[in-house]
Amino acid sequence: MKNIGGMHKSGFIEHMEPFNDLTMWFDENGIDSAKLIVNSSSFRSSEAMESNHGRHRILMVSDFFYPNFGGVENHIYLLSQCLLKLNHKVVVMTHAYANRSGVRYMTNGLKVYYVPWKPFLMQNTLPTFYGTLPIVRTILIREKISLVHGHQAFSTLCHEALMHARTMGYKVLFTDHSLYGFADIGSIHMNKVLQFTLADVSQAICVSHTSKENTVLRSGLPPEKVFVIPNAVDTTMFKPAPQRLVMDPIVIVVISRLVYRKGADLLVEVIPEICRLYPNVRFIIGGDGPKRVRLEEMREKHSLQDRVDMLGAVPHAKVRSVLNCGHIFLNSSLTEAFCIAILEAASCGLLTVSTCVGGVPEVLPDDMIVLAKPDPSDMVHAIKKAIKILPRIDPQEMHLRIKGMYSWQDVAKRTEIVYNRALKCPNQSLLERLSRYLTCGAWAGKLFCLVMIVDYILWRLLQVWQPDMEVEVVPDIKVSRSKHVTEDHSST
Amino acid sequence: MVNPPVISNARLTYLHDEDKFLPLQAVDTHHIVSQRSILKPIVIYLFVTLLVVHAVFLHFKKGKPVITVYWSLLFGAFLIKLLIWRPIVKESVIIMPAFGVQLETHYGSGKISRSFIPVSEILKPVLNECVTPLTCFWCLSLLVRDEEQLTLVFKKFRPPLKMLVPIWKALCAATDCKESSELFQEDG
Repeated sequence: MKNIGGMHKSGFIEHMEPFNDLTMWFDENGIDSAKLIVNSSSFRSSEAMESNHGRHRILMVSDFFYPNFGGVENHIYLLSQCLLKLNHKVVVMTHAYANRSGVRYMTNGLKVYYVPWKPFLMQNTLPTFYGTLPIVRTILIREKISLVHGHQAFSTLCHEALMHARTMGYKVLFTDHSLYGFADIGSIHMNKVLQFTLADVSQAICVSHTSKENTVLRSGLPPEKVFVIPNAVDTTMFKPAPQRLVMDPIVIVVISRLVYRKGADLLVEVIPEICRLYPNVRFIIGGDGPKRVRLEEMREKHSLQDRVDMLGAVPHAKVRSVLNCGHIFLNSSLTEAFCIAILEAASCGLLTVSTCVGGVPEVLPDDMIVLAKPDPSDMVHAIKKAIKILPRIDPQEMHLRIKGMYSWQDVAKRTEIVYNRALKCPNQSLLERLSRYLTCGAWAGKLFCLVMIVDYILWRLLQVWQPDMEVEVVPDIKVSRSKHVTEDHSST
Repeated sequence: MVNPPVISNARLTYLHDEDKFLPLQAVDTHHIVSQRSILKPIVIYLFVTLLVVHAVFLHFKKGKPVITVYWSLLFGAFLIKLLIWRPIVKESVIIMPAFGVQLETHYGSGKISRSFIPVSEILKPVLNECVTPLTCFWCLSLLVRDEEQLTLVFKKFRPPLKMLVPIWKALCAATDCKESSELFQEDG
């Protein structure tokens, strides 16, 4: 674990106007700034909330964040942006990506800590149980965090950070983005870890009612603690094409990762059948993955090279232009907690055909989607139905309806309500919390208690070695947009 | 001339002297000195002396092998190195406006290493948050022309922000950088 001494230029924070505030802050306080640091770093969650009049200071933790693109990553980013607009302070913590490490600032002053723990498996940080305790503690104290919000059950950093935050007495929230099974060994292990984390969480959020049911069953969490806040879509970005597309040929778009979970095998059966039944139908397939080879083989076998376009991986910024080339969006996932892809497609005015799995039926109204069982013949039938009702669809009208139904500002307001509820939860002592862990299972309960006790002891030792008051609090930096360019030009 | 403030914490002290002897040009010197307590070395030396005396006593009176004395001397030296020895005594920044900046490191062995950066090479002094796998701290560095990496002003010490800010302000003034940004660049 080397100390980051000489750093690359790309690693520094962009130098901003804020440091005027910083120097003024120190000028005003002079040598007594030491005392100020002592006072401000001894804040705990409830005191912080009261003194800030309902303004929360949130730490979002996940292994999945920019520069990766995906459902969870976009959710965290867009939710954080909307919370910043509501005048809360948001800090994101994730692991380092390639050479992106250290502190970065994103739009509107969203501060991101890329902690230099390298991912070891599928974007997840190496789970060391207690290894992340020092850095999590440092970040929580220096940013005066009042609430920790973890995302995604599959993220080890999230579980560890939530555990440490609970040990230190902070209020903790968890959002689950995916559905998991119960039967295979991976799921059993994951569910046990989830049970541990959720045993002591203040509140939880799920993205659909199906997901809530799944989470409650997997973790044994009381349903009263779980809120359902569906995801949303950025309707300003996903707009239909200005000119309505001609109906011949009918273009069916598929954009997804080509993996088993997303039903790529179903596509291999469905596409040749549809191409046989309807000579005027074309397919556009965007995305990449292990199953791409099977789709290429299908193309070769049925000589569909001129009727099926494989685009490869589509960057998120280009998704809209690909969607605007089509009439129908096909989603063949085998499991989905909440499918943002079909929401993006509907926002672009496409009629959706999807497998009826997980939370998919909760996303769109019945007249915007045709559902089918995850079975090739049923899907072919659904696509036939969609092609028949296609002339009745008005893309602009669909877009306006989606705009009225989904917005990230709404998600942020609802999440704020959950934060307020979480902060009202009573503070609990270590013994009270340990009793909750004991209910997790005969052996597991005792093991979890042991893990938490060791964490508590390590925290106290860390406090002796580096007291809370030695951790410097970061002054609040207000980001101002640059108007200097135009002013300079006008003055010369 | 205002008497410059002395800021200190448990481990480090900040000292600032301005040399106004040269007319029209002031050489601005900032030192970060590692704290030296008086009581701690006395206690450690006393303990080590007692240990060595005890080992000698064991050797001559009780007939223990002479290797005991050697081990006690070695252990004593190790303790002194660990607890009292300061590998770096002082790190200084000497700012000569319109000329350059000199960075000095004074070692415990008496060695002094210096490096000079002309003012034309300095693009900007920056206060930077460094994140390590275990902690996060502020550091002051210089953006130097044609250098890929940031040049750290304090290579070994990690002074707190309250000590770094006056030095940063002085560097900004000397290198003629505006403290506010010219352009705000968005990441991502």
